[in-house]
Amino acid sequence: MLNYLIKRILMMALTLFLIITLTFFLMHAIPGGPFTSEKMLAPEIEAALNAKYGLDKPIWQQYLSYLQGIITFDLGPSFKYPGVRVNDLIREGLPVTAQTGFLAMLCVVALGIPLGIVAALHQNKWQDTTIMAIATMGVAIPSYVLATIALYLFALQWQLVPTFGLDSWQGYILPVLALSGFWLSFIARLSRSSLLEVLGQDYMVTARAKGLHPQTILFKHGMRNALIPIVTVLGPVVANLLTGSFVIEQIFALPGIGRHFVLSISNRDYTTIMGITIFYAAFLMLMILIVDLLYMVLDPRIKLGEKAQ
Amino acid sequence: MSSAPLLKVDNLTTHFHTSRGDVQAVRGVSFDVKPGEILGIVGESGSGKSITCLSILGLLKANGEVVDGSADFEGKQLTGLSDKQLRTIRGDDIAMIFQDPMTSLNPTLTVGEQLIETIVAHKPVSRGEARKRALELFELVKIPSAASRLDNYPHEFSGGMRQRVMIAMALTCDPKLLIADEPTTALDVTIQRQILLLLKDLQEKLGMAIILITHDLGVIAEVADRILVMYGGMVMETGDVYDVFESPQHPYTTGLLHSIPDVRSHTKQRLTPIPGSPPDMLRPPEGCPFAPRCPHAIQQCLEAMPPLFERPNAKPTVHEARCWLHHEEAPKALQSIFDAPEVSNG
Amino acid sequence: MTDIHVTVPKEKWAPVDRGAQDAEFIAAPSLTYWQDVRQRMWRNKPAMASLAFIILLILAAIFGPMLTHHTYYDQDLKLSNIPPIFEVYKTEPTDASAQYMFLNSGNFKLYEVAENGEILGLVRAKRKDLMKKQHIYVFGDAEVRVDYSQLPATLVDGDGNAIESIGYRWNQTNWFGTDSLGRDVLVRQLYGARISLTVAFVAAMVNFFIGVFYGGIAGYFGGNVDNVMMRIVEIIATIPLTLYVILMMVVFQSGFLSIIIAIGSVFWVDMARIVRGQMLSLKNQDYVAAAKTMGASTKRILTRHLLPNTMGPILVTLTLLIPSAIFIESFMSFIGLGVSVPMASWGTLTAEAVETLRAYPHQLFFPAAAISLTMFAFNFLGDGLRDALDPRLRK
Repeated sequence: MLNYLIKRILMMALTLFLIITLTFFLMHAIPGGPFTSEKMLAPEIEAALNAKYGLDKPIWQQYLSYLQGIITFDLGPSFKYPGVRVNDLIREGLPVTAQTGFLAMLCVVALGIPLGIVAALHQNKWQDTTIMAIATMGVAIPSYVLATIALYLFALQWQLVPTFGLDSWQGYILPVLALSGFWLSFIARLSRSSLLEVLGQDYMVTARAKGLHPQTILFKHGMRNALIPIVTVLGPVVANLLTGSFVIEQIFALPGIGRHFVLSISNRDYTTIMGITIFYAAFLMLMILIVDLLYMVLDPRIKLGEKAQ
Repeated sequence: MSSAPLLKVDNLTTHFHTSRGDVQAVRGVSFDVKPGEILGIVGESGSGKSITCLSILGLLKANGEVVDGSADFEGKQLTGLSDKQLRTIRGDDIAMIFQDPMTSLNPTLTVGEQLIETIVAHKPVSRGEARKRALELFELVKIPSAASRLDNYPHEFSGGMRQRVMIAMALTCDPKLLIADEPTTALDVTIQRQILLLLKDLQEKLGMAIILITHDLGVIAEVADRILVMYGGMVMETGDVYDVFESPQHPYTTGLLHSIPDVRSHTKQRLTPIPGSPPDMLRPPEGCPFAPRCPHAIQQCLEAMPPLFERPNAKPTVHEARCWLHHEEAPKALQSIFDAPEVSNG
Repeated sequence: MTDIHVTVPKEKWAPVDRGAQDAEFIAAPSLTYWQDVRQRMWRNKPAMASLAFIILLILAAIFGPMLTHHTYYDQDLKLSNIPPIFEVYKTEPTDASAQYMFLNSGNFKLYEVAENGEILGLVRAKRKDLMKKQHIYVFGDAEVRVDYSQLPATLVDGDGNAIESIGYRWNQTNWFGTDSLGRDVLVRQLYGARISLTVAFVAAMVNFFIGVFYGGIAGYFGGNVDNVMMRIVEIIATIPLTLYVILMMVVFQSGFLSIIIAIGSVFWVDMARIVRGQMLSLKNQDYVAAAKTMGASTKRILTRHLLPNTMGPILVTLTLLIPSAIFIESFMSFIGLGVSVPMASWGTLTAEAVETLRAYPHQLFFPAAAISLTMFAFNFLGDGLRDALDPRLRK
């Protein structure tokens, strides 16, 4: 177990290093410095700015000093907001993104899985048809479309919830709904098909033949096995909730990391783009590690250190 | 006919509702099982033998329904019981083991847990006591180093060992009747015999009755007391295992006996497979279901369902066969096919 | 059950005429795998409707823009933000001036229309009374006022009485209305479909080739080659791909080609995994061994034996790759990293509609519907294909 964990963490470090390297050189491959695009910038001022941010040094030196910064958890200064560091932007946005993201994840798991179970247990009855019709819509409608429609109907037209901000609990409803909509539907569909598959297995007949209580059969034998494929996709779900938050935070004007990220893109604030990308990548790899560990607890057939084919 | 039957199945009829119509899987099957006897049910896949047993225990899939008939177990009408009432019988008085021990055990629970949960579900015992009982059962079915293997997962066992686990699980509550649905089919030939002997041995030790479902006549010959031959969802022939093997009274049984190799035979004997395939149970034939494949079929066979004709014998066990050729008016020339033992070599 | 003493008529004891019926009776004609797949696809109504929708959409995207004089870039600020359906009012002028008109409630402008709903032009106000919040128009001797003191704005005559409308008309000039720059929404939708579908198809194809090539090599050679290649895939899979598309778009600058490159180069991982898995399981099959013993070359084994048998899962993955490519493209466009103006994709159209959401909510309808329906269709088609290709469902 410990060996496996160490191996995984080393692998993660290597991946992260590759991501940092790739991101760094991609950002520096953009023609022109970060300040060339700005109008009315006298050459001497640009030179001064370059010197200030160390951009006059050779690229490998910049790279090394960037790496050095990351080891001490310093993602460098923002190019666009003087005196602001990328760390500050993340620290400032994190509570908002983490809160909405966590609530959305909660929705996905706490609503998606039960809805899938209900649909599977009432296969081809009205409960199933209704849930699956909604879930199919949820999978087809892109999050930003859902967010905009919801914003128009619930906030502008009927004024049930505020249009922006998270000052009251109602403010969370639309962003969380829009953020979780796709994955909620996806997980509901997956739970349904996964449980149906498990319900058809021989060991479910064995469990019934043993005279167990139906609830024991459903949860101990059915859901435990049906959860395995669901857990494997939870890692990617976290990843996609994060990237989904870019537009959701934009639409609902939430001051989260995603909004900073999108702003930094339109501002061509390269250090911020780089910093947030690396932060996200590190976070996601951590999530995937957690999901993998959870997966192994659920499925004893998976031997530590080797993945199922 | 000395003792009262443990299980009495009467005119059991099971249909599966599908989008293309009702599949008539079991069509009026009647038989009984006496305490402590081994009844072998034999037939091709799709003959309705497994469905018969699943119907008795109410374990049919959602689209399956017992539309007629009854199953009486020690005076209780199983077919009329609620799921809750059936639960007290399943795994306790009547236990079942299945064909494929690979898929019949839950892969994500330890085998010990799968035994313990059965015991706890039926007996007022603590988990500790249940575990002790599970260990005894593992020793009973001869699983080596039983104590350490309770905490293993099914995938850590070989096929034969898994079937032993299944048997141990079925025996947790000393059932009066054990239904074994093709218990050896998925196993290697050498293992098959071990499992079969284990079953026979346990039956003698514990005195339970066994319904042994199989398509392998060799298995029946080895352990069964009585045999029930099924085809097209119906009983074709039933009787004492020696009677049926020595003088089969239905052309289908004859065909089955011809399609297995006889190792005692010294002459070069050809295996004769039965031509054709089993009937479509969505629209089963009006007459005898075997008639389209029967080498001796007459017009009557195609048009009317034959009843079960009792054959005279010296034993207390009734020997019956569903064939028109046993009719009192049937020409002697046609009846003669049953006279001489068909398996004449050896 | 029949009684055993029933009388059997004499002629019934005759042996069965074997010529009349065949023991080897087969209930249904046997079908080849692909015939069977096609038949099951055909029976799947949602999947077939989706396929029809996709074909129609492609045809509309190709030929639609050729059938109209509108272009996706022509602006007409005088005719901006016109809705596709409007309420027409009739005035009774004494001279030849406008008879029919409609009021754009978003910007309080009055447009002259024909009775059938064709737009003739913007009407200039004679006077603007900012105190009473009225715009005053004069037709001959009749006076019409747009009263926006209370929302929604209403049309009143000189005495302040409301003018009755003669009902709703479909906009005959711009069937889907116009956007904030007066461009025809329908044509922009069709161009958007061109861009979105092209990006999706090309990106899906690029992913398909990379994935099949990569996964095929890894699976076919196995061993160390496979180990190294799959380790690389594992690393790529842990990187959030949307982030990388964003980074690439930042590097390449937004545009049509860069979005194809960006999407095309990162989403092949799933495909590679599936192809590899298929290859690994299939290459150990007996028929491949049989082909090898008969001296078939590596290339022949790959193209004749392995690829056709991996087609099913690949096809399903490809079908489901298209909607995700459409989604990513529109997502990028929505956050401002897609195609550059004045080109339109469904994502940019949605983003534009969001900007005018408060005044003209209807503008959101068409891009939202277009993208959702298309995603729907591809999802249904993919699900249908997966069901049809699954041999476990064969009956």
